[in-house]
Amino acid sequence: MSNVVMGYKQSTFPKRLAAIAGIALLIFIVLPFVVGSFQLSLLSKLLLFGTLAVTLDLVWGFTGILSFAHGIFFTLGGYASAYYLKLNLSAANNTYGGELPDFMVWNGLEVLPWFIAPLKYFPVAFLAVIGVPALFAYITGSFIFRSKVSGVYITIITLALSSALTTFFISQQAYTGGTNGITDVSKLSVFGTVIPPIGIYFLILAYTVFVLALSWWLTQSNFGLILRSINENENRIAFLGYDVAQYKIFIWTLSAALAGMAGGLFVPLNRFISPVYLAVAFGTQVVIWVAIGGRGTLVGPMAAAIILGQVQNSAEKVTQDWQLIVGILLLVVVLFIPNGLMSLLPKQLRLSNLSKPKPLPGAAAAPVTPVVPAEMASEPQTEAAQRSS
Amino acid sequence: MLDLAFSSMLSSPAYLLAQEAAAEATGESFSYTSLANQALNGIGIVGILLLTALGLAITFGVMRIINLAHGEFIMLGAYITFWMQDTFQMDLLMTIPFAFIGTALVGALVELTIIRRLYGRPLETLLATWGLSIVLQGVIKLIFTAQLKYVKAPSYLSGSIDLVKDEAGSVLVSMSYYRSFIVVVALALLGITMFLFYGTSWGRQIRAVTQNRSMSQCLGVNTKLIDMGTFAYGCGLAGIAGTVISALKTVSPPMGQDYLVDSWMVVVTGGVDKLIGILAGAFLIGESNAIIAFLLNDPTARVLVLGAVIVLIRYRPEGLFTVQKRS
Repeated sequence: MSNVVMGYKQSTFPKRLAAIAGIALLIFIVLPFVVGSFQLSLLSKLLLFGTLAVTLDLVWGFTGILSFAHGIFFTLGGYASAYYLKLNLSAANNTYGGELPDFMVWNGLEVLPWFIAPLKYFPVAFLAVIGVPALFAYITGSFIFRSKVSGVYITIITLALSSALTTFFISQQAYTGGTNGITDVSKLSVFGTVIPPIGIYFLILAYTVFVLALSWWLTQSNFGLILRSINENENRIAFLGYDVAQYKIFIWTLSAALAGMAGGLFVPLNRFISPVYLAVAFGTQVVIWVAIGGRGTLVGPMAAAIILGQVQNSAEKVTQDWQLIVGILLLVVVLFIPNGLMSLLPKQLRLSNLSKPKPLPGAAAAPVTPVVPAEMASEPQTEAAQRSS
Repeated sequence: MLDLAFSSMLSSPAYLLAQEAAAEATGESFSYTSLANQALNGIGIVGILLLTALGLAITFGVMRIINLAHGEFIMLGAYITFWMQDTFQMDLLMTIPFAFIGTALVGALVELTIIRRLYGRPLETLLATWGLSIVLQGVIKLIFTAQLKYVKAPSYLSGSIDLVKDEAGSVLVSMSYYRSFIVVVALALLGITMFLFYGTSWGRQIRAVTQNRSMSQCLGVNTKLIDMGTFAYGCGLAGIAGTVISALKTVSPPMGQDYLVDSWMVVVTGGVDKLIGILAGAFLIGESNAIIAFLLNDPTARVLVLGAVIVLIRYRPEGLFTVQKRS
């Protein structure tokens, strides 16, 4: 079945992809030992931003939902993580001693609010880092996607969401630290040992690899094919009997959970979180990475985030007008290279050609089981069986 | 999660304290004069919303261009006014035609080079106009630096109209001249635009092009020229909005961003079928913002209004004031 759809020869194992990915991974493993501490933290940050761009690519590049709200999920995860680190400051390091974080004391709170207190414990915080963005995405997703609202209006809704949530977080000073956000958090530690920056780098690298691998597997599976079909022609997929809204909600929620975890890792690195990352401007930044890197490719957004970040770092020493350059680049890409810079790569090097996935022609009747919620799991398989028969 | 946090905040002592303090600041616990003041304040907001959204009602409402650079055209108008006032010491009112022509020219150029290539591709248009907004901000920053600029309002528009006074003669309800001026300008521009659209042959051509492009092409309408003219006109209106608003707020490269989301909300609420819809949209959003801000507080009002707009888009993406029709 995949044979027909993908239109090129298949082999069982993507050897060339594995080789190139392995070399890239090796470079990123060696890199921290040769660069300085500033580059190390910059690189960690850019890897996280790249991961965030990949999660947006899942919903935009593959499913066609352009969202300016991915900063929201990132920041929600970030706040959960920041509360955990803030509440675990040892009493000596806390400005006022005792349990209560400094910004709560300034704003006249006397007891820890009940919905923040449990975040002191690691398992709760870990769940919240993934769960809160996912829940928020599930609620908003079920609300938005089960309607006749289409493309552009969804984007406008995400703009409004981002704007509303920024205002909300800034206004609730006692609980969120207002404009400053949550600062001076403790360092991430395991069993009392503080993790050094290089440890955090490898943690982030591992997470990046996990997200890339998961996204690759997901988009190569039948489930990924359906997502792409939704992007191509939503009505047709609906006519074939798929519940389009369900697929959208699932990928939206999954992407939010992945983005939330990226935010959760961002705080131990960055040592603060603030509504800056909620605002439309940051959401746009993520969209720009994906647009410039190339929608529908996994490496493109990641590479765009890392390269643009590095160039920005060097350029800002020379010029004040980095944003102008980004704007011009975005315009040029949208007008002349609509599929992003990745589409300029020679064909042999593209990911989709390197990753020749899945079954041999003889084994086509047994497609890889897609990752879908239980109630949907039966549909793609019956569909696949019908087509291959 | 939001709802949970929100309800707990409403009952928390800190919040109640803040509300009491706010009530004390406005005088007695609840008075009709302050409510009236707030409603008038809301009218001022309605004027600003109407003015800033009018240009978008043309570029998005009529032409269906997803224009995220709308705020930057407002900013351009404000900078033109600042520049003319700075170099020629011109009165603010005198700069209005220049702001209109200047931004309209930029708009025509943008249509010619960018928008024209992207008709029928809304998501690409959205990205391109966002890129354009970054570029315009960057260029203005290059020319005028990022410093805040100030524009003087004309002296004859300072002061306020006193509507209600108490026995001792102190003012209870008042409205500043400048805000009334904004409302008047906004309504006048809306009137002019409606006349242009529904009363002239140019307007008929615009409506013909938006309804059936190929048919109007067959009938000899120069659709490309109409597209460019309409977009330029919408941008020019945004420029006038920038001029008028520049005296209220400081002028800076990112100032347009503040108006972008609000303008979108107004146009989407009002519906894009009829121009008069944005009057209703601006009135609803401005007044509900002012009244909720009076009863609760400013950020809450903004969050609630934005939430309401999201719900509205969800159920009626075509806007509140659109007649249902078969498509």
